[in-house]
Amino acid sequence: MKSLLRLYPRSWRERYGREMEVLVDELPARTGVAFDLLLGAAMAYATVIRGNRILSAAGAYLHGVCVGILLQAIAFVLLVLYSQRSPGGTDTDVTLGPFHLAAVQWPVYLGPRSLSQAALMRWPPLEWLPQLGLLAVLVAALVVVLAAPRLLRKTQ
Amino acid sequence: MRRLTVAASFVLLAMLAVAVAESSLAALIFLFSATLKLSLSIELGEHYLQLFLPNAPYRPEVVVYNAGTIASLVFTVVGGLAAAIWKFRRWRPQ
Repeated sequence: MKSLLRLYPRSWRERYGREMEVLVDELPARTGVAFDLLLGAAMAYATVIRGNRILSAAGAYLHGVCVGILLQAIAFVLLVLYSQRSPGGTDTDVTLGPFHLAAVQWPVYLGPRSLSQAALMRWPPLEWLPQLGLLAVLVAALVVVLAAPRLLRKTQ
Repeated sequence: MRRLTVAASFVLLAMLAVAVAESSLAALIFLFSATLKLSLSIELGEHYLQLFLPNAPYRPEVVVYNAGTIASLVFTVVGGLAAAIWKFRRWRPQ
């Protein structure tokens, strides 16, 4: 259990290390204690990072990158959903001025349809359920990522 | 010299973070395409990263062109830099 104390920042160990070692010796070796120590190490690092301007900006950079990736994943699912706005799907092209960024191309089927093909090409809102599910998960993840710094600050 | 090393390290770490993030995004998009039974093509210069599902006919194909790949990269970097600059300017000692 004592080895978990090595996960704490050096400045923190120099200041509180001995007291913590004595405290950990007195505590039972349980999973809950180990989890508390791990959480404490994360909090200690958060404090060290927040206290340094450069490290704080680097942390914000990583946070911004995560938010950007989640926004792009949401945009991907929204593009697929938007292309399904009519029965059989609609070809959709995402452009920015002269640049073509992405497209959704639906297959053209001219022959007679079997029952299973017709079922695939029908347009009930039920077809949207997987996309809506993914969208809900991604939006929830975005909310968690956006709220994480504030929540971390409050828990301290 | 030390400052230069620190700056170079930060730039390399920033690039590594963006590379990992973009790979994660590509993995996420491939996973979503497989889940939603879509065909997917990502244009990377003269190469294509493709995912085709032969057992799922009459499904749409999503194509991400070169411009889209570059725009994604730029969006990710700008998002990170904007957050970092915002934090750097608003940072106060605690």
